[in-house]
Amino acid sequence: MKLTSYGRSLHELNILKDQGFEEVILEPKSLSRFGKLSKDEFLALSMRAKELGLRVLLEWDILMTEDVFTAKLKEVNDYVAHADAVRVQDPGAFGWVVRNTDRPLQFIAENGNHNLPALEGWVDLAKGRLERLILSIELSKTAIEGYVQKLKVPCELLGMGRILLFYTPRPLLSALAPEKMTMNGEIAALGESEESPHKGFPIVENAHGTFMFHIKEFCLVDFAHELRQMGLGFFRIDQRWDNQLLAEISGLVKNFDATGFETFKEKYTQDLMRGFYLVNKTDVLFPKLKNSRLQKREGDYIGEVLEAEKGSHLAIMVKNPKGLKKTDLLKILHPKGEIFESKIYSLRNLSLEEVDSVAAGNLAIIQFIGGVWVKSQVFYQ
Amino acid sequence: MTKHQLPEVLAPAGSLDKLKIAVLYGANAVYVGGQKFGLRTAADNFTLDELREGMNFAHERGTQVYVVLNSFLHDKDLEEVPEFVKFLEEIGTDAVIVSDLGVVKTVRAHSKIPVHISTQASTLNSESARIWKEAGATRIVLGREVSVKEAGKIKREVDIEIEMFIHGSMCMAYSGHCVISNFTQGRDSNRGGCAHSCRFEYSLEGLDTPEKKKAYFMSSKDLEGLRVLPAFIEEKIDSLKIEGRMKSHLYAGTMSKVYSEALKYYAEHGDFLSDDLINWEAELSKVSHRTYTEASLVEKAGADSIFNERENASDGEWQMVGSVIDANPKSGIVIEVRNAFNQGDELEIIPFKGPAIKVVANEIMDLAMKAVTRTRPTTLVRLPFVEGVSSMHLVRQRGKA
Repeated sequence: MKLTSYGRSLHELNILKDQGFEEVILEPKSLSRFGKLSKDEFLALSMRAKELGLRVLLEWDILMTEDVFTAKLKEVNDYVAHADAVRVQDPGAFGWVVRNTDRPLQFIAENGNHNLPALEGWVDLAKGRLERLILSIELSKTAIEGYVQKLKVPCELLGMGRILLFYTPRPLLSALAPEKMTMNGEIAALGESEESPHKGFPIVENAHGTFMFHIKEFCLVDFAHELRQMGLGFFRIDQRWDNQLLAEISGLVKNFDATGFETFKEKYTQDLMRGFYLVNKTDVLFPKLKNSRLQKREGDYIGEVLEAEKGSHLAIMVKNPKGLKKTDLLKILHPKGEIFESKIYSLRNLSLEEVDSVAAGNLAIIQFIGGVWVKSQVFYQ
Repeated sequence: MTKHQLPEVLAPAGSLDKLKIAVLYGANAVYVGGQKFGLRTAADNFTLDELREGMNFAHERGTQVYVVLNSFLHDKDLEEVPEFVKFLEEIGTDAVIVSDLGVVKTVRAHSKIPVHISTQASTLNSESARIWKEAGATRIVLGREVSVKEAGKIKREVDIEIEMFIHGSMCMAYSGHCVISNFTQGRDSNRGGCAHSCRFEYSLEGLDTPEKKKAYFMSSKDLEGLRVLPAFIEEKIDSLKIEGRMKSHLYAGTMSKVYSEALKYYAEHGDFLSDDLINWEAELSKVSHRTYTEASLVEKAGADSIFNERENASDGEWQMVGSVIDANPKSGIVIEVRNAFNQGDELEIIPFKGPAIKVVANEIMDLAMKAVTRTRPTTLVRLPFVEGVSSMHLVRQRGKA
């Protein structure tokens, strides 16, 4: 497992070289969501990286509408020419790199792509040009292990760094405090949501839009050994907001020691989390989002009680094409779960005439059944 | 494209009732969700029986039905897709709406149902559309960040059907690129568990104010593209989508009616230069909504597209009173009451075509024919029969608590 990280200065390139990195991600301000490098700075760093023996990866990870994309194409070749590989997130950039350059491609599949056929699909669409897939941090280790073993290309995973929660092209902070915009075209704040106990979400607005991060940073440093054994290709360390401890983190990934990691965590300014690495259960709450007793069923479902007039009647909207017959035996499921069973003693239509049956799409009025409420679901017994 | 080279009106249908309402009020197509694989876990959604019935109901009236499979599915979820897709093909589903490449491949491996790429995939440019076409898509639902002009260019360059949102709530984030719920609530927003964290108030620190600044800074105004219709037509956009499977019956009906009537007017007159435009806008304002914006349909959405207010679900100028269950001279107009009204109140019954029918509720009876002075929600009441009123018509009243 190799390490990868970002470089924004000659100093950072030297750290990467010293720590045994074989590559560096360079982010032009124009093409990368959090890029700081002007074209001249990119070219200078690219040249220096190559002198140091570092492979240069161009990060082109913004999403682009048609007009933005067209504008970017006027300059992207200047960067591509000085890169050894191109990293993209927008499928448009993916397609353009495959069709218009000879550079190896790295696809940032961090949004979705939580299944093997999707990841294999991107490999196929790249027509042999894909050299790396950057996986989602929402994947569990079981999923990662499976993908690493089955995919034809190496995989990369964020191992340490900020968790991006939200990305919009709209300017959301400058509307509130335009005077805070820096010379660099950035504005930053910390957010606290009324819905959540979490405080201090870092928020950044720049030329590409507004971004919000989790209050905790993602950290799999203590699982690096496990990831290495799985066969993960690349472990990404993202210290773009504070690179003071880049060398120390790299050292821990290469040679983990529990005591050193505890010491590191104490001095690291942000709290750390492992996200869904052990298990992803972000769908287990779904059944609780609605009352299962109000959910309709297949087959024996007759319809729904629209009115329950105590001592008088129940009005049932008949939905089953078989309709409702006076001889039918009913099973009625109350919204709170109680089940009532009953014969039909009186069956009337809307004109209050006694009838033998009521067809689908019509209202059936039967005798009141104690305890049954509106929204109760009615079934054939 | 439908005849006259007009885009189709594609309405949301969160339930079988809403599907029928959207179809009857003029939608050319509806989109629905099954019990799984969609992004509206909390919606009623359709059982298999309802999907079959809804499909038949729509097709008998010339309306297409698209089924959403637009979750970002995990491997385990994907295992169940083939069987569902075979069922969808069997009942004649006109297309499925998908946002994940793995789902695209699975659908194509097990059926010949056309695949539309969901807005959740944030397809924003022609190169991206080309990739999805290569993967087998027949239509792209573009990201809401794309202007109509850009969409036209994408269509011309890629030669693929283009669908765009014209109305409804909007994610502030690039769709599919928000995972706040995942990490703060443990609910996968891209599998139907979105907690709408963007709609809450945030206290912001670091903006040069002595105290934290409070703002709903991530909450977007609602999209409304009525006045952009000529541009959609000019750019030959194939489908105009209305957001809102979770929204009310009144919403589904009003939106389907207004946008289809506006397009029909254009088909007949070749323009929208009509007093009807004012009426259509008035109709749109009668449904509960946040402040409207054209967002990025014409120019890139800026700071003025932020809603920055607390939600108030009942802030519509008008409210839905209920829907007509039955209407004939013998049993009268039977209304399923959702919001109470009183004897003497003025109501509007909305026909499938044409202006609202005004009714004064002078004489209200319950189902058992007893006189009523004040109705209650979740009851059924009768009004005297009025010519032109029929089953499934929606009833509204100028808003009151």
